[in-house]
Amino acid sequence: MFSLKPPKPTFRSYLLPPPQTDDKINSEPKIKKLEPVLLPGEIVVNEVNFVRKCIATDTSQYDLWGKLICSNFKISFITDDPMPLQKFHYRNLLLGEHDVPLTCIEQIVTVNDHKRKQKVLGPNQKLKFNPTELIIYCKDFRIVRFRFDESGPESAKKVCLAIAHYSQPTDLQLLFAFEYVGKKYHNSANKINGIPSGDGGGGGGGGNGAGGGSSQKTPLFETYSDWDREIKRTGASGWRVCSINEGYMISTCLPEYIVVPSSLADQDLKIFSHSFVGRRMPLWCWSHSNGSALVRMALIKDVLQQRKIDQRICNAITKSHPQRSDVYKSDLDKTLPNIQEVQAAFVKLKQLCVNEPFEETEEKWLSSLENTRWLEYVRAFLKHSAELVYMLESKHLSVVLQEEEGRDLSCCVASLVQVMLDPYFRTITGFQSLIQKEWVMAGYQFLDRCNHLKRSEKELLEQYPAAFEFSETYLAVLYDSTRISLFGTFLFNSPHQRVKQSTEFAISKNIQLGDEKGLKFPSVWDWSLQFTAKDRTLFHNPFYIGKSTPCIQNGSVKSFKRTKKSYSSTLRGMPSALKNGIISDQELLPRRNSLILKPKPDPAQQTDSQNSDTEQYFREWFSKPANLHGVILPRVSGTHIKLWKLCYFRWVPEAQISLGGSITAFHKLSLLADEVDVLSRMLRQQRSGPLEACYGELGQSRMYFNASGPHHTDTSGTPEFLSSSFPFSPVGNLCRRSILGTPLSKFLSGAKIWLSTETLANED
Amino acid sequence: MASASTSKYNSHSLENESIKRTSRDGVNRDLTEAVPRLPGETLITDKEVIYICPFNGPIKGRVYITNYRLYLRSLETDSSLILDVPLGVISRIEKMGGATSRGENSYGLDITCKDMRNLRFALKQEGHSRRDMFEILTRYAFPLAHSLPLFAFLNEEKFNVDGWTVYNPVEEYRRQGLPNHHWRITFINKCYELCDTYPALLVVPYRASDDDLRRVATFRSRNRIPATGGGYESDDAYHNAELFFLDIHNIHVMRESLKKVKDIVYPNVEESHWLSSLESTHWLEHIKLVLTGAIQVADKVSSGKSSVLVHCSDGWDRTAQLTSLAMLMLDSFYRSIEGFEILVQKEWISFGHKFASRIGHGDKNHTDADRSPIFLQFIDCVWQMSKQFPTAFEFNEQFLIIILDHLYSCRFGTFLFNCESARERQKVTERTVSLWSLINSNKEKFKNPFYTKEINRVLYPVASMRHLELWVNYYIRWNPRIKQQQPNPVEQRYMELLALRDEYIKRLEELQLANSAKLSDPPTSPSSPSQMMPHVQTHF
Repeated sequence: MFSLKPPKPTFRSYLLPPPQTDDKINSEPKIKKLEPVLLPGEIVVNEVNFVRKCIATDTSQYDLWGKLICSNFKISFITDDPMPLQKFHYRNLLLGEHDVPLTCIEQIVTVNDHKRKQKVLGPNQKLKFNPTELIIYCKDFRIVRFRFDESGPESAKKVCLAIAHYSQPTDLQLLFAFEYVGKKYHNSANKINGIPSGDGGGGGGGGNGAGGGSSQKTPLFETYSDWDREIKRTGASGWRVCSINEGYMISTCLPEYIVVPSSLADQDLKIFSHSFVGRRMPLWCWSHSNGSALVRMALIKDVLQQRKIDQRICNAITKSHPQRSDVYKSDLDKTLPNIQEVQAAFVKLKQLCVNEPFEETEEKWLSSLENTRWLEYVRAFLKHSAELVYMLESKHLSVVLQEEEGRDLSCCVASLVQVMLDPYFRTITGFQSLIQKEWVMAGYQFLDRCNHLKRSEKELLEQYPAAFEFSETYLAVLYDSTRISLFGTFLFNSPHQRVKQSTEFAISKNIQLGDEKGLKFPSVWDWSLQFTAKDRTLFHNPFYIGKSTPCIQNGSVKSFKRTKKSYSSTLRGMPSALKNGIISDQELLPRRNSLILKPKPDPAQQTDSQNSDTEQYFREWFSKPANLHGVILPRVSGTHIKLWKLCYFRWVPEAQISLGGSITAFHKLSLLADEVDVLSRMLRQQRSGPLEACYGELGQSRMYFNASGPHHTDTSGTPEFLSSSFPFSPVGNLCRRSILGTPLSKFLSGAKIWLSTETLANED
Repeated sequence: MASASTSKYNSHSLENESIKRTSRDGVNRDLTEAVPRLPGETLITDKEVIYICPFNGPIKGRVYITNYRLYLRSLETDSSLILDVPLGVISRIEKMGGATSRGENSYGLDITCKDMRNLRFALKQEGHSRRDMFEILTRYAFPLAHSLPLFAFLNEEKFNVDGWTVYNPVEEYRRQGLPNHHWRITFINKCYELCDTYPALLVVPYRASDDDLRRVATFRSRNRIPATGGGYESDDAYHNAELFFLDIHNIHVMRESLKKVKDIVYPNVEESHWLSSLESTHWLEHIKLVLTGAIQVADKVSSGKSSVLVHCSDGWDRTAQLTSLAMLMLDSFYRSIEGFEILVQKEWISFGHKFASRIGHGDKNHTDADRSPIFLQFIDCVWQMSKQFPTAFEFNEQFLIIILDHLYSCRFGTFLFNCESARERQKVTERTVSLWSLINSNKEKFKNPFYTKEINRVLYPVASMRHLELWVNYYIRWNPRIKQQQPNPVEQRYMELLALRDEYIKRLEELQLANSAKLSDPPTSPSSPSQMMPHVQTHF
């Protein structure tokens, strides 16, 4: 932990590489014991001993000695040395402290500093020098460095080549998930009648809710009934589940079951489908309680048929609306940055975040950040989604998201809209089902894209902390989980690809699939595979206002009146065109009325007046206290869109605020929330029975930090280990100067500082 | 009460507590029912105007000018109060348009304020109404130029707490363990004859005799001898001290920088290139340099190797910033409400930060080169720290905003004058009310619910552009589109949970009482739930 205390002398000091002589022999027996922990199906490909993992660039005193192995799943550094300075405060059960999954590796650089050579290693490449150093650039922004000064040069080289080879497989089936699942099938075949054990079952495993308490299953939308239930949950009359894509007969990038307007017959759909790119006909996503539906579809490539089909589809959607409202079409390709631009922005952002030296990027930080355009794009997504919320909620229009293939931008916009509109998707289970519905099943090409993912949600979380059941930590580990090639969830471009590839694999490995459609990969939603129950409690947002909790109704009524007053006075200065749309808006709150539509504007045309209507809607909305169980809208002004610091700065030691960061308030609130839980349990016990019984229950808590937890001897203090990086730690993950534990003034270089011995009298 | 409806236009935190009090007491409820007034506040004039609101367009209203502030009440709707601006915030009043001006609303007044906004009023061309308003505003906004007293001397507000007693130098030095064998208290400046901008009571190195001090004083700018700011464990007198100079720009650069900030946030926020525009103001960069300097000072002091002598060319701009920020980092006492008041009172007010010159209280010379937002910059740094350490400060954002509001308002004597001797001459503590009286008699409103009291914890903020943010709720608070949610939902949630906890405890107590009455022999049964629950916390 970074403090002003001098580093503890208990660490073994490796200031200089130990002399070549006996040291090696002495440490040999110790290193021999270092064995990797392997998963079923995981094999060690190569290994090298006497490797030094670098913790800091300017000193080797914190470096760790150990063995570096490359398996078909990860690179693993095994050491007996304790982690210096600062630990992680959660552990991934699949990975050791120093492990990197192969699918998380972005680039491999080998260095020979004697020959002053450096090479980026691709797969199947040769290396003409013996590396003295290996630098791994990870997709999650980490940079890990190993030194081979004391290792056998040949084995060092072999490990580097092995890592390069295995981390850049040419065939999907070489990904570890296949081997792992294959092994599981074989094992279980020997045991119980071919039913794979554990993993939560289900095609990819349903998995439990994240937390200790909630055991709701995440709907995966692989079955007819999941879709049917979603239709019923949202009260979407006029829509039906359609099975024409069973066995992927129509489209290989659509789910087997899709929801379509009831008025469209299977036969028509089959015909229409040919006109759509990728045969991706309209897919229902969600319906508002006012009947407006959110639909996504690909472009109609058949120019001659375009108008006709478009008309038919729109009519059908209108028919499915209880008020027969019009359809609002949003052409995402025209309104949003394309995926290449988003990708480029992300690459720039990453460079900026890990750039060294830290101070060099300080001076121009803001403009550099702007130049990445990342925040601009995040803002564009949020803003456009909020505008569509207006269409659905206030204008009662059904919205169709149109995009060439309908499987990139649509995923993001469709899920953002739903997160804003439907509180269910702000619960952990709901959010997971949303990702299943709008990303996994809708054919987001995780395999090809695997880079940018629904990070906009984080903005909403930051702005409405009480509206979400999950925490920032949850999003960070979810983001990390896309880089672990064990879970089927984020591995494929489409559900069809999973079935096809895994069936091939099963045949080649002689695995009996029986009635199953492809192999069942573990699901990322089964969080117990990765984290202990205790660590999973960190996913819970203590700010979350559950449905049962009474909330601030009184306050909101009062302020509503106030709004109404000042509201009408704002009308005065408005151009008269504006007044039309909003006459009696405030009368029917919270359900806004449909009179708005009277001077029916052409919904397909984005006119100026409509823009200001949207603006008016936003203004109105923000002038009222948010009902966190209703619609929430993000503030999309440039001053409100901020970088996701936990995710992007967690490895940067210079940016770490020790004893600070929002986690300290999170901690404080967790304690209180836990206390309230304990009290309410006691109260229940007290009512029902003898006093003693309640102590038995006190142990379980839904909070990571609890009033009587192990971290907590003194109830009120902020624990020493909290920092803005928590539960992560920058130590050894970016390989920067050893600023942790060194005197503060050493790394204060933002200001140009001159030390001087001038005396007082010379001044003034 | 009319003030209830102001929020949309006016998130101004110049609270109306005392106003409510007076109207409740029935005092001052005379003919001019139209606007709330403080005791001692008198109505000078009222006029029909059009207020050109940059966010909501022109509003027809009646403006009321008192000897303390300007009110605007809308004439069109339900006569809600739209503006409530202390005249002290006005830095400049300009006439716009002439007798021949054509076009709607082109004839009137344009008022530049010190708190990041401008006010525009359109008036009728006939009837001298503009001339009247201009003259009255000029007279009462700049009383010093018209031999009028500042409003603080007319203010007759009464509070049940006396803010002037918050800071007692001897007591505060004692809290820090002073005097000791390294530092001594001297009364050499008792009548301000050694240095008229220093306080009467000083702590100086033990071995420096009063004669030495007199000699040193002649070399120093305005006779400002070195004296203790923090006064932490220190070894020798300052010949072992290490000197370092920080590359922080002068007060003129700061003033220009703040102007640029206003340009990009008022009335419209520069949206398209927000971050680079913000960068080009250099405001956050200056904040960063000040924080960096303070971290260095704090680090030097806490490492125990050297005492720190902080100085700038004229004593008490940069110096006050650095010492007080370093003290906030090192000593948790100053992170409490009262501690912070003492800090401001000591390091800024008592040691002679030139508030009168830097703010220009009651002075019409808006181009005065002595003006500079040095104190604002300090409060901004404190805000940045409170963002990085959300549980470390007892006070909330509103506390900082109200301090800044009354930095300009001239309603309290706290920030008037340049130094202690001038304040003494004007008998400020007898004739005016202290801002701390207002705040301390209504403390709950300024408390941070997440505050966790920690003794002896040194907190270093990260002075990096990656963490520094523009203080939107202060600099852009006039813009209703940017304003952030109030109250803060997280704080609100916390308060709800607190209430829930208290209710559970109460119910448990009741149940236990009932149970113990029923059971005949519960000898070990705890008498109260807080005993049974080892970790029931007492917040606040």
